[in-house]
This record gives sequence, structure tokens and C-alpha cells, in this order.
Amino acid sequence: MSHADVLADGSADAAELRPSSTPVRGAWGRLVRSELRLVFGRRRNQALLAGLAAVPLLLGLVLFVTRDSALAGQGPGFVGRVTGNGLFLVVAALIMCLPFLLPLTIGIATGEAIAGEASSGTLRYLLAVPVSRTRLLAVKAVATMTFVAAAVLAIGLVALAVGAAFFGLTDVTLLSGTTIPLADGVLRVAGVAAYVTLSLTGLVAVGLFFSTLTEVPVGAMAATVIVAIVSAVLDTLPQLAAIHPALLTHHWLDFAEFLRVEVDWGVLSSGMAVQAAWVAIFGSLAWSRFVTADVSS
Amino acid sequence: MTASGTRSSSVPRDRLRPAGSTEPAGADVELDASDVTALAVRTEGLTKRFRSGQLAVDGIGLRVPRGSVYGFLGPNGSGKTTTIRMLLGLVRPTSGVAWLLGEPMPDGAGHVLPRVGALVEGPAFHPYLGGRANLARLDASDATADPRTARRRSDEALERVGLTAAASKPYRQYSLGMKQRLGLAAALLRPRELLVLDEPTNGLDPQGTREVRLLIRELADAGTTVLVSSHLLTEIEQVCTHLGIMGRGKLLVQGERQVLTERGVARVTVTTAGEQVGAAAEVLTGLGLAEVLADGVTLHALLGATAPEEVSAAIVNAGLDLVGLQVRRPSLEELFVELTGEGFDVAR
Amino acid sequence: MTEASVPRPTSSRARWAVPAVVAVAVTGAFLAPPLLASADESVLPDVTPGQLVTTIAAAEPVPLSGTVVYTARLGLPEIPLAEMTGADPIALLGGSSTLRVWTDGAERSRVALLGSASEYSVVQDGAEAWTYSSSDDAVVHYTLSAADQARFDALADDARAGTLPEVAGGLPTPDEAARAALAQVEQYSTVAMGDQTTVAGRDAYQLVVTPKDASTLIGKVVVAIDAETSTPLRVQTWSSTDSSSPALEIGFTDVAFTTPDDAVLAFSAPAGAAVKDVVVPLPEMTGAEPETAPGTLPEGVSITGTGWETVTTWSGLDVASLIAGDPAALATVPGAELTIGSESAQDLIEEFMPSDGSGSPSIPTLDTSVLYDQLTTAVPEGRLLSSTLLSVLVTDDGRVLVGAVPAETLRAMA
Repeated sequence: MSHADVLADGSADAAELRPSSTPVRGAWGRLVRSELRLVFGRRRNQALLAGLAAVPLLLGLVLFVTRDSALAGQGPGFVGRVTGNGLFLVVAALIMCLPFLLPLTIGIATGEAIAGEASSGTLRYLLAVPVSRTRLLAVKAVATMTFVAAAVLAIGLVALAVGAAFFGLTDVTLLSGTTIPLADGVLRVAGVAAYVTLSLTGLVAVGLFFSTLTEVPVGAMAATVIVAIVSAVLDTLPQLAAIHPALLTHHWLDFAEFLRVEVDWGVLSSGMAVQAAWVAIFGSLAWSRFVTADVSS
Repeated sequence: MTASGTRSSSVPRDRLRPAGSTEPAGADVELDASDVTALAVRTEGLTKRFRSGQLAVDGIGLRVPRGSVYGFLGPNGSGKTTTIRMLLGLVRPTSGVAWLLGEPMPDGAGHVLPRVGALVEGPAFHPYLGGRANLARLDASDATADPRTARRRSDEALERVGLTAAASKPYRQYSLGMKQRLGLAAALLRPRELLVLDEPTNGLDPQGTREVRLLIRELADAGTTVLVSSHLLTEIEQVCTHLGIMGRGKLLVQGERQVLTERGVARVTVTTAGEQVGAAAEVLTGLGLAEVLADGVTLHALLGATAPEEVSAAIVNAGLDLVGLQVRRPSLEELFVELTGEGFDVAR
Repeated sequence: MTEASVPRPTSSRARWAVPAVVAVAVTGAFLAPPLLASADESVLPDVTPGQLVTTIAAAEPVPLSGTVVYTARLGLPEIPLAEMTGADPIALLGGSSTLRVWTDGAERSRVALLGSASEYSVVQDGAEAWTYSSSDDAVVHYTLSAADQARFDALADDARAGTLPEVAGGLPTPDEAARAALAQVEQYSTVAMGDQTTVAGRDAYQLVVTPKDASTLIGKVVVAIDAETSTPLRVQTWSSTDSSSPALEIGFTDVAFTTPDDAVLAFSAPAGAAVKDVVVPLPEMTGAEPETAPGTLPEGVSITGTGWETVTTWSGLDVASLIAGDPAALATVPGAELTIGSESAQDLIEEFMPSDGSGSPSIPTLDTSVLYDQLTTAVPEGRLLSSTLLSVLVTDDGRVLVGAVPAETLRAMA
């Protein structure tokens, strides 16, 4: 249909007769908002966020109750430091969630993104609307990443609140033994949360790729979690030291860099570079798979 | 024929441009221009072989004229849904090509699908969202849809399928019929030039089936081309102007319904007085009719090219009593059985 | 209809080429920089070992900060507890560790052993030193006694004024010192220039010290020296039993010759940390030069053999209680600094046993007899620790034999 046809019509309903192949401005934003509403409006996802937010609450509660007992000051990672400074509850909670719960969250979110839509049949209607598959994949990636960021944020904010309420916030003793003002400490912990979030991008790409392979969201979820766990296991085998730096999970704990006297941005950026590499490879794999796949569900 | 032949008189100016308008034939200058404008759906040698090796669709050449209601018939598993998926760009053909409204698929999907409403293999929506929210979700996905009119359009679509009262109810609480209606509402979110409805009456009670038929007729009267598939011939036969019959992945026959129903081989039944059966059979055989069989005082035979009047005249001229003469043409269903050797699957 | 009118179905194979290309590009991006760097032949003027050693001896210590990676392939049993306890110096016994080093080139420095989410720091400021372990939030503060402090200050003042007291043998000029050192080394080793190399992005000379004696475990020692500042950038010690990779390697992966931030070099015990004060005796100047006075060995210590195959024997030690004891006790053992006999070997040991002028503040709290049992194996003579570079035999009658020689040699001697 040509523009001339529309103009010739000249009717008040011209907007409705817009040439169909012309995308409306803001269409991207509209789809992203719709996708975010879908993700965050889903009760299961809300429960997931609440569950993650409960981790620092429980951890804080346990530490608060046992703070005067012989068990005080014990525990892996930063757990022992929490009673001294509530700010460390953020770091301790993130460390607790990092090996399994956050990968699980990613698995659920990415499994739902493509495989979930395929299994419920809504994917075929989206594609028939039509949504270009590249655009849909990109929007799904953005929405999933936003959900993961929200999960980290939920853990962090609840941990901050619980930590402040139970243990108070004071100047921060870094891993190097140096003490910095609380405001700097909060900034550094925010850096930790940001790094943790960005560290998960590679796994999101892997999860989306699995999600394009199957119509069974649980299968994609399980595969994603398994990748994270296998990567962590391989990371402990000294025989594989040569490939450790390339592993998805190898640089996850490098967020500790924010808690050293001098932050080595080189370490952080190499961690980010590895994630970028995983995103590039698995993002392109997911794209290739998704744009060529037959949607027969 | 052209789409405007039968329907264009009733096309409202503000709903749809007349089919056969001056749209250029696109980038494809080699294509017969009349085909592009006259056919809403066209495929050439469209084939899909699944990775399992199963040949689901075997070189079919669909011709759906603009303005027609094309009944796409065939038993379950005959390849209808796979064909529809290929038309909509969901499944990639193994070989062959398809055009939708003159645009090649799937490459032209972005241009052409906004003008196509589709119901594919039953409705599918997010179970925890209400009907209106589900429509809003689909509309938001449409890069070419105007967000300002989204609410009004979805309300109109819901109204049209009678779901206004249940617009906010979660989809999982819908009955099968309501789900089907929501699927139709989604297909009607925007004015469409072509509707592809795969089994739209599935799960509907007789009343619902009637309503869908009415809806299809209404849309067709407004100038929309409708491609409607079904495994239940009788449910849609009455609204179709054209028919295509699939069997085992092949398009066995297609054309105008009128032509197809007349094409069937007619049988004649002649009833005479009891003792004249043998003589009458000789007369029929003499006329060149085949498969002459006696059944009491009744004779059956294939009419072939012979006119029924010739038969009656010949019997009378032979001095025999003609008690009754009946000509029966096969129904579409019989035609189908004849073509495929299969009955319709009524169990579904 | 002609062929031209057929819409081209986008080839699936073409789509799959995209990730293949991306994978190759990404792999290339990660592998190329090191390859390019190694391909980049550094062109430095040729020098002789003598000239190089002279330059090193004359060079002023420079401020620097950098990252050091230390890798040990000593062939010791795996020590799994290193994984669990965070940053702990025990980790240095095996595998690979990362350290971060800052120094102002003079009195202040900080060395941090990085663990995942933990850190072990050693901060030195003149005669004072702290260690801080983030895992248990514990500070150990090493100081000199008041008398020693005064003596140290005087020495430091003298050093600044360039009027160091005459020690035995005198303090020669850098040139003489280098010559002497080289002569000393060449008595038992061949010293040669190795290929020029690049360490941490800096052009470097390599000095290769090869023992003349074949019976030692040490194959060769390769030291990479920064061409510009004459700072040692990397030390590799190769075992004679493995020529594929160095048994010990410590080197910068990243270095900048800038003065570190004052905040890095400063240290005060954080609030709430457990602080332990240790007063360390300042060693007598004369006792610190075993080469110049080989006859004055501490009591109970004897030396067998010469050069690289030297075996040192301590007798009459209660090894078990020593192992359980604290580091201060270790420092009081006669001749605690391991002595092999040749200067380069001595340097080597000091390199890997981070020690500094104020005694041994960085000798870690090596816990436990468990570790001892894990590292050693029972032999008829006692317990044996066997690594690719060094053998230690602890006999049941309380003697300890140490040498860079095969375990069999020690057992034959015991």
C-alpha cells in the first residue's frame, strides 16, 4: 500500500490505515515495557525475588541471635565480619547466593524467556504478530538481565536494611586491613553488587541459548544451573589451570577487588572481558539458533 | 478471477483498500502482476520435510484468491497446520516458496504479517493474564501498531467475539470456547486483509460454531480474505467460496466450491416396474452407462456424461414404465473419501 | 515464473557461520595479545653478565607497584586446606598465587597475598611491620625492642648519610661487589646471558645461572632483569628433573614504576581486630654474612659438601615442638635462615621465604603437625620431605638435613 492511498482516503481514521510496514516510533520501548510487565507481574517471579531477599534476612537473623555465643564471628567469606559492620551483610548475602541461587534465578528467567513461551504456544503468536526474532531475542535478553539485576538489588537492599538494623553501619575495614569511611564503603559495596550483576551476563547468554534449544523450560533451567555448577567444579581442578581464566564462574569472586586497599581495575575489566566473550559467543549461538528454528509448538 | 469480482462491492472504503488496487508487484518484476494482486496466498512447490524425515507437506501450490473464503480441509495430520506455519513464517520450508499478499515469506514477514490476523493450532495465551492484558501484550509486540488506539482496538476485538464481560478474568479460568474466542479477538486486533484461521471451531459447541461461521461471513463480506482450516468439513463448508483438500501432505484438489461439488461423478437411480428390471438394465448399458447394478426393482448406474433426460427418454422410448429417476451427486465428504480413501476424523 | 522471482530462503548454514566467526574472533582477541607480545623481539644492547651484575648492584631501589604471580611446581602433595582458609602463605607451597606489591623504594612497602575474597597483607614501615589476615581479622605487629630500635635508627641514618659502618670484608663499590658476587657464584656455576625477553610488558635481560655440579636438584636459575631500572622482574628456578616448566617461578605480570599512594603504604590496626605484638631482636650485623665467615657456624649446625650440593645439618632439635611452636621461636633457632652455601642459592631461598631486614615478620603461622604429616613421608631414617628442588630429612634422633640434592643423598648421609 502506498502512502498516496492513505492520503487519498483522507479520512479521520487515517491513523488506523497507517501503512502497516512502517514501525511506530517507540515500538522498542513499548515491547520492552510489555516484557518487563510480563516478567515482573508474574507471581512466580515475585516469589523468587522475595525468596532471594529472604536470604539476607535469615542470615542477619541467625547472626544476630548467635552474636554473643561462641559461634559469633565464625563462618565463611564475610559472614564473620557482619556482626562488626552491617554493611558486610550485603557482601556475605551475595556470596551465599552466588554459587547456586542466582544461577537458579537465571535458569528460571531464561528458561521462561524462550522455551516457556514456546511450550505455552505464545511464541507462535508473538512471531505471527509479527515480532522479528532478532528483536524478540534482544528484548528477552534485556528483560532477563533486568530481572537478574533486580534480584541482586533485592538481596543488596534487604541486606543493607537488615544489616543496619541489627548490627549498625560503621566505617569499613577492607580486606587489606585499611579502614575507610562508611560513605566510601557503601560505594564500594555498590560496586560489588554491580560487578556481581555484570558477572552474570555470560550465564544469561548461556541460559538464553539453552532456552532456544528446547520447548521444555525446566530443561533449559536445569542445563543453565548445571553449567554454572560444572564451571565452578572445573575451576577447582588444578589440572585444568590452563583453562581456568576462561571459565564462566572463575572471575565471579573478583568482586573482592572492591574491598582491597587499591582497586585493580585491570582485574575487574578482565573479568568483564571474559563475560563479554561468553555473551558474544552464546549470544550469537542463541541468535543463530533462534532465527533459524522452526516454531512447531 | 479477481478478488474484486464477487466481493469488492461490499468493501467499506475505510476498512480495506480494494483488492486488485494498483500496488506494485514489489521487487519481483518477473512475477505475473495479476497473480500478485489477485491472490492473497500463493505457494509453489511448498515442501516441508521434518528432521525426523517425515514429509509433512509435499510440494503444494495453494491459490487463495483475494476476497475468498478458502476452506482448507483435510484430516488431522494431513499437513494443514504445517502449511499454515510456513505461510506465517514460523516454519522454514524445506523447498518451495510462499507469498502472502504478494510478499515472499518468511522474508517479508515484517511487512506483511501486520496485515494478517492468525489463529494457529488453537489459542495460546499467558494463563495468569486476563483477556485484555493478553491482547495488550500482543499489540505491544507489534511494532507497526499505534499504541494510542491500542485500548480501543482491543476492546472492540473483545466486543466482537463477546468477551467484554470476561476481559479482566485470567485466561486460565476461560472455558475452551472463550479461549478460542480470545484467539479470534487477537486475530482481529487490527483491520486485516487476510485472516488465517486454523481450526477456529475447535472446542466450540454448536452455538459457538455457528457464531464463528457468522463472524467469518461478516468479515468476508467486509472484504477480508479468510483462509480457514478444519478437519470437520461440515462446519465450514457452508461459508466457503473456495476449497482445498489436503491428504497425506498433498493438496489433492482445490478450486471454487461450486465447481468442485459439480465435478463429482453423478449416479443415477432408476426405478421401474418389477419385471422390467432386466430390460431397463439393457437400455442403460446401451446408453453407455457404467456399473449398472440391479437391486430389486431399482437400478444404479454411474451417469457419466449422459444427461438424465436422455436416460428417461430412452427408457420411455423402450416402452418401459419409469416409476422413478433420481440423480445424486456426491457430497464434499464423499468427494473427499473418493480422493483420499480416508474418512474425516470425527473422533477429535 | 522464473528463478529470479523465487524468494531466496535465507540459508540456515549462513546463520550458523555467525557464532563460528564470533567464537574465532573472541578467541583471537584473548590469545593474540600475548602472542604478539612474545613475537615482539626486544632489541637491547648486548651486555655481559659482569656488566649486568654491576648495573644491578649500582641501581638505586625504585618505587614500584605491581602484580606478582608466583607458581610452584614442587611436586609436593596437594594441600587442600589452602583452598578453604582463604589467603594464607601456606598457599605458596603449591600451585599458583597472586601477590600485589607496593614499595616506595626505601623503607615502606606492602605485599598482599590475594585469595578469593580474602587477603594476607604484610606492611613494612622501617623497622616496624604488620601482618594482617582478613580471614581471621588478625593483626601481628612486629617491632624492635627500644634498644634495637635505636640501633636500627642509627644504622638507617648512617645509610642515608652514606656512612655505613665497616662490616667484615668491607662494603665494596657496586662494581667490586658485583665482581665479587659473580666470582663467588662462578666458583660453582656457569653464568651466562639468556635470551632477552619481555616481562610484564617490559624489556628485560635474562641471567642464567647453571650449577656446574650435576648432583644437585637445581637445573638452573634464570633471572629476568628490567633493562631500564635493573629491577629483577622474574626469577625462575628449574629443577634438573623437569625441563618443561620451572619448578618455582615468581615474576611480575604487571608493574609500574611509580610511587604508591600513601594510603597503601600506611597501616594501622583496624578497630576490632585481634592484635598481637611481637618484639623481634635485631640480628647482629656480623652474623648475617655466613659466606664471609664460614668458620663461625652456630652451634649444632654442620655443613657437608660445597656449592649447590651443600647439605646443612642441624642436630639436637625437638622438631615436633618446633612445628607446634610460634614463629618467634623459629627465629631464635640458630641459623634459622636456610644456608646452602652459594650466594645465588641463598638469594633464591630468601626470595621465596619473604624476609626482610627486621627479622622474620613474614614467616607465617604455619599451623600444625597435620601439615607436617601431609608434606612428609615416612622413611626408615625418619620423615622425608621431597620436592623437585629441595629435600629435607628429619631423622628420628632429632637431626634435620637440608639440601638441594636428591632425597637418596640425604638418606645415605643420615
